Amino acid sequence: MSATDELLNPDFPVPDELQSNIAITTIDKIYNWSRRSSMWPMMFGLACCAIEMICTAASRYDLSRFGMEVMRPSPRQSDLMIVSGTVTKKMVPQIVRLYNQMPEPKYVLSMGACATGGGPFKEGYNVVSGVDKYVPVDVYVPGCPPTPQALLFGLIAVQKKIDQQSILTVPWYQRGPSEAIPVPILGPDIIDPRQSDVIRVQAAKLATAATAVAELSGAAEA
Amino acid sequence: MYGLGIVRGLGVTLKHFIDSYVDDFRWLGKRYTSREAFNVRQGVKGRGVFTVQYPEERLDIPERFRYIPFLLYEEGPNGEQVDRCTSCGICAKVCPPQCIWIERTNDPKTGRPIPAPKAFFIDIDICMNCGYCAEYCPFDAIKMDHDFEIASYDRTTRHIWNKDKLSKPVSYHAQIHPTDYAAEEAARAADEAKKAAKKAGAAKKAEESV
Repeated sequence: MSATDELLNPDFPVPDELQSNIAITTIDKIYNWSRRSSMWPMMFGLACCAIEMICTAASRYDLSRFGMEVMRPSPRQSDLMIVSGTVTKKMVPQIVRLYNQMPEPKYVLSMGACATGGGPFKEGYNVVSGVDKYVPVDVYVPGCPPTPQALLFGLIAVQKKIDQQSILTVPWYQRGPSEAIPVPILGPDIIDPRQSDVIRVQAAKLATAATAVAELSGAAEA
Repeated sequence: MYGLGIVRGLGVTLKHFIDSYVDDFRWLGKRYTSREAFNVRQGVKGRGVFTVQYPEERLDIPERFRYIPFLLYEEGPNGEQVDRCTSCGICAKVCPPQCIWIERTNDPKTGRPIPAPKAFFIDIDICMNCGYCAEYCPFDAIKMDHDFEIASYDRTTRHIWNKDKLSKPVSYHAQIHPTDYAAEEAARAADEAKKAAKKAGAAKKAEESV
């Protein structure tokens, strides 16, 4: 059923004399339609996938056909974050900060093998195995790198996801402010503050074990 | 003189801009009716800026295009699937990012391995589409697919492909890789002819010696 059919034959009873003069729809539909038709991606590339993203934005594949023509260099003005490329441990704090700075509603598209699961660098000392460990990802586009057409397919998938959402249930219209994701800390390794309780317990365990060993060795010496 | 380069660069952009309108007039309307016009305009001979209206029209995929690998099976006379894969594990060994996981089948009676995979997994979040698996497979059992429309909403449940998801018939391979398929079949036929000749020669020798 096309959109016009749905507008002309709503479930709601319409008097006969007004049949062709009024259209009935839901707020959700209009709201989602306007939101998905003006998704502004963030101008933000990490690795080789970014080259394909640039190609997608250029005139041959032309993102503007989907209302995404303006890639905003500022997170404050963008709705969609395309994580295009290898997410290194050094870059994760910046990515999470950028995600926190985006105004809601916000979406994340993980582009390519590296961003989704670490790709060829999986379990590397410097690469995060999946950006979804830190920010919630809506659509994953596999490929190494995905071709512009594959990325466009992913972007259409984001639009389809938006179409299914309802103002009543989406997390950004609930009561109270939404919580920001704690920014990971880059030390000798990356530390996720959400796991600090677990880390603290583990550290305490290790410390008691170390003191026990020291006491034992001290007793042996005495 | 300063700034000449900028003017020249802008000239290129202007040329593309004008060229696209000139080309539009030359192909007037044909773009939507004939595939030929589309292919010429998006190829090397196309002039100006040409947009591929992706979901409605898509580029022709070159034969050597690589995306996620797939497994080949031969269709038996009764419609059963006979896997070409023998679970030798060469693809898993050459895979640079190590995204292939194979489990061998064991004969339930003797406990010895049978040349057929019990399970075959590819993590498409790790696969880097290099095509080494297809290059090295001695049985032509794994090939690179052309299907790129595989974006999904969940990676933990959707992105580890098992044997059912990966398996595709040989006819599909013949359809997307016609040149490769013809070369493989020719090589196989030559191999078999050689083997038959050798067998015949051996039989003759045995007869003579008797």
